[in-house]
Amino acid sequence: MKTIETGAIIIGGGATGCGTFRDLTLRGVETVLIEQSDISSGTTGRNHGLLHSGARYAVNDLESAKECIAENRVLKIIARHCVEDTGGLFITLPEDDPDYHNRLIEHCKYAGIPCEEIKTREALKLEPNLNPNILAALRVPDGTIDPFRLCSANILDATERGAKVLTHTAVESMIIDGGAVRGVRCRDAASGEQIEVRGEVVINASGVWGQRLCSMAGIELLMFPSKGSMVIIDYRINNVVVNRCRVPSDGDIIVPGDTVSIIGTTSRKIDYSDIERLEVDDDEIDVLISDGEKLIPNVSKARILRAYCGVRPLVAVSGNVDGREISRGIVLVDHETRDGVGGFITIAGGKLMTYRLMAEWTADLAAKKLGVKKKCSTASTALPGSETRPRKPKIRRFTGIAKSVVGSTFYRHGSRVSSILERKKKNYGLVCECEMVTAGEVYYALRKLNVKNIVDLRRRTRIGMGPCQGELCSYRAAGLFAEFGAATPQKANRLLIDFLEERWKGIKPILWGDGLREMEFTYWIYQGLFGLGDIADDGEDEK
Amino acid sequence: MNYDCMVIGGGLAALTCAIKCASEGLRTGIISYGMSALHFSSGSLDLYGYNPDRKIVSRPYEGIEELVKLNTRHPYALCGNDIIREAMEFFRGAVAKGGLELYHNDGSNHFHVSTMGTVKPTYFSQPSVFNETAKEAFEKRPKIALLAFTGYRDFYPELAAVNLRKSTLFRNLEVITGEVTLPIRTSKNPHEFRSIDIARIFDSERYLKNIAAQIMNASQGADFAGLPAFIGINNYQKIHQRLQELAGILIYEVPTLPPSILGMRVDNALKSRFAALGGEFVAGDRVVGGEIAEGVLNHVHTENHGTTRIRAKYFVLATGSFFSGGLVSGFNDIREPVFNLKLFRDNERNRWYSPRFLDTKGHPFLQYGVETDDNLNPITENGETVKNLFCAGALLARYNPVAEGCGGGVAVSTGYAAAKKIIRNLRGGAA
Repeated sequence: MKTIETGAIIIGGGATGCGTFRDLTLRGVETVLIEQSDISSGTTGRNHGLLHSGARYAVNDLESAKECIAENRVLKIIARHCVEDTGGLFITLPEDDPDYHNRLIEHCKYAGIPCEEIKTREALKLEPNLNPNILAALRVPDGTIDPFRLCSANILDATERGAKVLTHTAVESMIIDGGAVRGVRCRDAASGEQIEVRGEVVINASGVWGQRLCSMAGIELLMFPSKGSMVIIDYRINNVVVNRCRVPSDGDIIVPGDTVSIIGTTSRKIDYSDIERLEVDDDEIDVLISDGEKLIPNVSKARILRAYCGVRPLVAVSGNVDGREISRGIVLVDHETRDGVGGFITIAGGKLMTYRLMAEWTADLAAKKLGVKKKCSTASTALPGSETRPRKPKIRRFTGIAKSVVGSTFYRHGSRVSSILERKKKNYGLVCECEMVTAGEVYYALRKLNVKNIVDLRRRTRIGMGPCQGELCSYRAAGLFAEFGAATPQKANRLLIDFLEERWKGIKPILWGDGLREMEFTYWIYQGLFGLGDIADDGEDEK
Repeated sequence: MNYDCMVIGGGLAALTCAIKCASEGLRTGIISYGMSALHFSSGSLDLYGYNPDRKIVSRPYEGIEELVKLNTRHPYALCGNDIIREAMEFFRGAVAKGGLELYHNDGSNHFHVSTMGTVKPTYFSQPSVFNETAKEAFEKRPKIALLAFTGYRDFYPELAAVNLRKSTLFRNLEVITGEVTLPIRTSKNPHEFRSIDIARIFDSERYLKNIAAQIMNASQGADFAGLPAFIGINNYQKIHQRLQELAGILIYEVPTLPPSILGMRVDNALKSRFAALGGEFVAGDRVVGGEIAEGVLNHVHTENHGTTRIRAKYFVLATGSFFSGGLVSGFNDIREPVFNLKLFRDNERNRWYSPRFLDTKGHPFLQYGVETDDNLNPITENGETVKNLFCAGALLARYNPVAEGCGGGVAVSTGYAAAKKIIRNLRGGAA
C-alpha cells in the first residue's frame, strides 16, 4: 500500500473541490485532491454553463444574486478563456405575468445587477431567432462558462505549483484518530492499488456524494438530491443567453456555448439511492423542447444532439429530515464545532457560479486549522490560459495549419495555445473534424491534464461532443492513446467501447430524426464494419 | 420521359436491379440522391454471416434455409434460395464486366479482417482482401505484418493486432506491426490525409518503388502484409500486383473508416456497367412523390424537376434505410417519405433502441422498414397494393443487416428479384 503525506486533502473534483485545491496551493499549503471519477464529471459538468449575472435569483434570493454578480465580474477576468461575455436577455411572452418584469428590474437594482429595459425590436436585433411575439425585454450581463475548462484550469494551476491530483480514485474509508479525521484510504480504479493519504485537514467537497463521505466519519449530513435535465441543440441557435421573464420554472432558459445551444432545465426530486443511476425521462424532453420553442421557435426545426441530467445537492443543515432547513445557498460545515470531529470540513450547496467564493471560505477555514496566515489570492490571480488579455493569437506563428484550428484551440485553452500547437507538425493532423481537435491537442491533454480515458479527453478537448458524437474521432482517439503510450492496445480497445457506450447514454433519449440517422451510421461503422460489439462481449467473458 | 423501369435510389439494390433490367434491353433509369452506402461499406458482399445464436455461418445457403423457417417474412424468404443464388452469380458477373474481379469460395463464406482485427464472414471479396493464394498460404502458418502509414489517423494496427491474435483463425500465428512513411510532404496539409487522398497517390503510380521497399522493410520477413485499403481506386488491380512484385510479399487490404475505397471500387464498377448497357443515371435529384391510382403508380416527380412527370411502366423503390433517407423518423413516428407506404415499426420511441449501443443483436430500429407482399409490392396507407412498384434493399423490413451479416446479400437479392418480376411481367404482356 502506498502512503502519501500531505497538508490538506480535498475529496471531490467538481468546481468547488478544484477551486479549493487551487486556493490552498496558492496559499502554500501542500494539498492532494482525490476524485472518484474524473474532474468535473459530476454535477459541475452537468448544468447549462450559464455565467449568471444573478438576475435569475434577484427576486427570490437576493443573497445569491449579489454573490453571482460579484463572481461574474471576477470570472470574466481570472477565467476569461473559459467565459464568453455573450450578454443575456429576459423576455416576457404574451402568456407570462407582466408584473414579474417590473419586479425583476427593482430587485436587480437592490442586488446591484445592471439591468436595462430595451425595446422588443432592439432585442430581436440583438437575437434575431427570438420569438417575435415577445412583449418586453431586459438586458443583463449573463454570459456562458465552460465548467470543464474551468475545473481543468484550476487543477492545472495547482499541479504546476506542485500539488497532487488523484483521479479515478475512490475514497473507501476515513482514518480517524483521537476523535479527528487524519486522512483517507482510497483505491485507484485502474491499478486496484490501495492508497493511504494522510493530512491534517480533510475537506469534503464531494457534492451530493458528501452524505456518504460524512457517514464514513460517523457523521449524519442529509442531502436532498434534485435532478435537472437539459437538451443540447446541434447548432448555436442563439448568441445571447435567453431567459424567460417569470418565476423560475422548467424550460425557461437557452444558453449558447461553444458550437451548440442548451435548453435548461427541469427540476425533480429523486431518492438518494438513485444518484448513480440518473436518466433523462421522455416527458422531460417534451417539456424542454415545447418550452424552448416558446423562447426560440427554431428549436422545433433543429436537431437535438443529446440530453443529459445532473443532480443538485441540497443540504439539510442541522440534520433535520423534515426538509424545512434545506439550504440552497452555500453551506460550510466545520465538523469540529458541529459534531466534535476534528480536521474535517464539508462544503456543499451553492452553485458553479460561486465556486471560487465557496473555495475561498473553505480554504479560509482550513488555513485557520492549519495555522496558515496567507490570504486568498484567487480573485486576482488569473488561471492558466487566462494570463493574457484575449486577443486573436498571432496566426502567422502557426504555419501549415488552418486558422479555424488555431481559433478552436485558442478558444479552448486560451494563451496555452502556443504550447499545444508549437509541436511537431505531424501533430497538426485533425482527429475530430467537428470540434477541430488536433493530435497535438490530444497529446497535450494526455501529458498535462490528467486524462485517463476518452471520456476524460472529451471534457478537456470537446472531442466527440460535436454533431457526429464521436463517429470517426472515437477510433482515432483510441489509436492515439496507444500511440502516445497512454494505454496498451488492449486497454485502448476497452476505452473505445466505454466511450461509445457513454455517448449512447445521452443519445438514447433523443433518438429520432437526424440523430437516429447518425447513430445508424455509427452503429454500422463500429459493429457492422469493426465488430466492436463482439470484442466487448469477449471482454465480458474474460472477466 | 417514359421508361420501362425507373429505379429510385442509387445503392447496391438499385444498381443490381437496374443493370439486370438494362441487360434485358429495358429502357431503364436511375434517380439517385447523394452518395450510396457503398461508400462506407467493407467493399465485401455479406450474404449471411451469423445465425440467430450469433454463430458464424460457413455455408450461407444452408443457413438461409434455416433462417427463413424462423422468419417467414425475411426478405430472403420472399426471394427464395434459387433467386438468391442466381442474383449472386449475376452480381459477380456484372461487377466483373464493370472491371472488378470478386473472389468467392464456391458457395461458402470466407473471411476478411476488419480495422479492429475482428474476423468477419463474407461471401464476395476483392482479391486484394482475400484470394486463393491467401487460402493456401494460410495452411502454412504464415507470419503476418499489419502496417500503418505515418500521419494516417484511420488505421492503428496495434489495436487490430491484439484482437487478431485472439481470433480462432490467427491464434497461433505471429502478428507484427510496422509503419510506412509515404514519400510525400504530408505535413503540407495533414487535414486532408484520408484514404481517398492516399488512394489517389497510389493511382498515380509515382512512388511505388519507394513504398514497396518500405513495406518490405517494415514487414520484417512476414509472409503477408496487411495495409489499410487505399492502394488505388481506378487502377488498383495493376497497382496491387505491381506492389506485390516489388515488395516480394503478399499484400492484403484491410477496410478502413469511411470513405471506403473498397466500396467505391464496387460502386464504380456497377455504375460503369450500367452506363455501358445504356442505362440513364440521374444523380443529385430526389424523388419526392408520385401519383398512385387504383393500385398503379402512374408517374413520379422530383425535387429538381418540379411538376415534370416521370413516367415508367414499372418503378423500383430502393432508397435505403434511415441513413440514406429511405425511412424518416420524427419525435414519435416513422414513415416512408416518398409514397407513405405501410411500414413495420413501433411508434413508441423508447422501444426503437437497445440499452447497450454495441449490442451484437442489433437495435430494433434496424428491422423497421416497408412491409411488402410476397411479390415485393408495397401497400399504401389506404391498404392498396401498388402492383407496378417494387421495393428492394435496406428499405425493407424484418431483417437485421448487421446482426445477421446479410445487408449486401439482401440488397442484391431483392434488387435482382424485383428486376426478374418486372422482366417477366413485361414479357408476359402484363401491366
